[in-house]
Amino acid sequence: MANEYKVQVNHLTKRFGDLLVLDDISFNVKENEFLCIVGPTGCGKTTFLNSLSKLYDITAGEILINGEPVDLKRHNIAYIFQEYSNMPWLTIRQNVEFGLRIKKLPEAEIRERSDYFLDMVGLTKFQDYYPRQLSASMLQRAAIARAFAVKPEVLLMDEPYGQLDIELRFKLEDELIRLWREVGTTVIFITHNIEEAVYLSGRILVLTNKPTKIKAEIPNDLPRPRDIADPNFVALRNQVTELIKWW
Amino acid sequence: MKKKKLNITRAAVGALAILCFLCLWFWATREGTPLGRLMPNPAQVFLRLVETTHTKVGPLTIWGHMLNSLRRVLVGFCIASGSGILLGLAMGWNRTIEALLRPIFELLRPIPPLAWISLAIVWFGLGEGGKYFIIFVSGFSNVTINVYTGAKAVDPELIGAAKMLGCSDRRIFTSIVIPSSVPYIFTGLQIAISSSWAAVVAAEMVRSTNGIGWMITAGQGIGDMEQIMVGIIVIGVVGFLLSTFMRGVESKLCAWSRVQDS
Ligand SMILES: Nc1ncnc2c1ncn2[C@@H]1O[C@H](COP(=O)(O)OP(=O)(O)O)[C@@H](O)[C@H]1O
Ligand SMILES: [Mg+2]
Repeated sequence: MANEYKVQVNHLTKRFGDLLVLDDISFNVKENEFLCIVGPTGCGKTTFLNSLSKLYDITAGEILINGEPVDLKRHNIAYIFQEYSNMPWLTIRQNVEFGLRIKKLPEAEIRERSDYFLDMVGLTKFQDYYPRQLSASMLQRAAIARAFAVKPEVLLMDEPYGQLDIELRFKLEDELIRLWREVGTTVIFITHNIEEAVYLSGRILVLTNKPTKIKAEIPNDLPRPRDIADPNFVALRNQVTELIKWW
Repeated sequence: MKKKKLNITRAAVGALAILCFLCLWFWATREGTPLGRLMPNPAQVFLRLVETTHTKVGPLTIWGHMLNSLRRVLVGFCIASGSGILLGLAMGWNRTIEALLRPIFELLRPIPPLAWISLAIVWFGLGEGGKYFIIFVSGFSNVTINVYTGAKAVDPELIGAAKMLGCSDRRIFTSIVIPSSVPYIFTGLQIAISSSWAAVVAAEMVRSTNGIGWMITAGQGIGDMEQIMVGIIVIGVVGFLLSTFMRGVESKLCAWSRVQDS
């Protein structure tokens, strides 16, 4: 029963001093689900991911993975930050390999996986470049390759495409969906872009302003591949937009 | 291609500037001027410099003096670098060490190397120890403060990303904190090698019988202006070569932090 869900968030509360950010939030995420969370700026979306990934201590409540408290040494979590944090002193390939080395995989496996994922995101030709030599979208792809390479059980993404132009965003969104379906992982994807949430998600959580609660939970069963001009797509997008009008 | 051209232009401008300076020097020290009576002209200094490469000044030729000075500077500099890097990283990484040592460090930092001479003699005697110490003091705080800044400036997201992958604290230190501090370490070393070399005159004021600094001090003692000028020029040129060398090492090891510029 406890393991029915991949991620369980029970009565999560987070304060920074007097500032109550997350106010008694509870929800669950199923295995292989693609969950999008939308919410106004400053409502605590990043704070939530940081709590889940143990970068922050939580004030009250609990976050479980496979029914157990999160343990980074045991649970395989990948986190793609808002700023794509590549190690500037490592080449793109070394960045992708970094996590695999930490996890002490055999050398052959490391090569194989990084080859595969570099190819997947189209960076094979740039594998020996340093991050500073690449554009924002390439860095974002490198971050995605790095995250997928560790074959995470849970993949956290914090507004990863917020700073990219539309064309690139579409491309990377499709790439992400393809990887997600091929590799099979539970994704929690934060965005403030409603269209993006409707395009990607299997379910959308809408958050309120601080102190933050869950305002609505919207299942999204639109068939894939999705078309942003499809009437059903537009209807769902409008439904979500309606919900956040009062932010 | 474009870059090469730029470099050549820059070198040409530099050479021209030096040439102008030499002309000015010639002109200022020409026959009959007050300055000319006190100071040799560039040609005299140059001839003297050539002479010192095969004729001894005091106990040694210029090469011998240079090697002695270089040895002192390198010993002092290496000790300063090693301990500065350790202290800087430790203060940047560990809050307790930072709280404990930073105030002491900040108090000692503004004291100029010259001020330490008497203490250096008392602590380390008139031999080489005192000289090493003076040079150490002139490099140490430069290295420490830069490394400390670097260790503090590590991108917290990189540390977060490493934690996420299950990195231990030790691994974070070796795989994230140290590499991202490398450019700062080199800035520190660069400044330190220059100031260490510049301190060689002060260090060799502590009762020495050789070294470029000694040549200058001894030249002053016997009123030999040419010898002083030769010493000054050698200090300038060697200092320039040392910092050029350090910059070369840096651009090799920190390619990643500069690739944007190229
Ligand atoms: N480390 C922190 N210390 C204090 N306050 C913080 C910290 N991190 C976030 N906050 C505050 O928590 C609130 C939510 O921030 P954040 O999670 O970054 O919002 P979002 O990602 O939804 O835009 C903001 O008001 C922010 O100022
Ligand atoms: Mg945020």
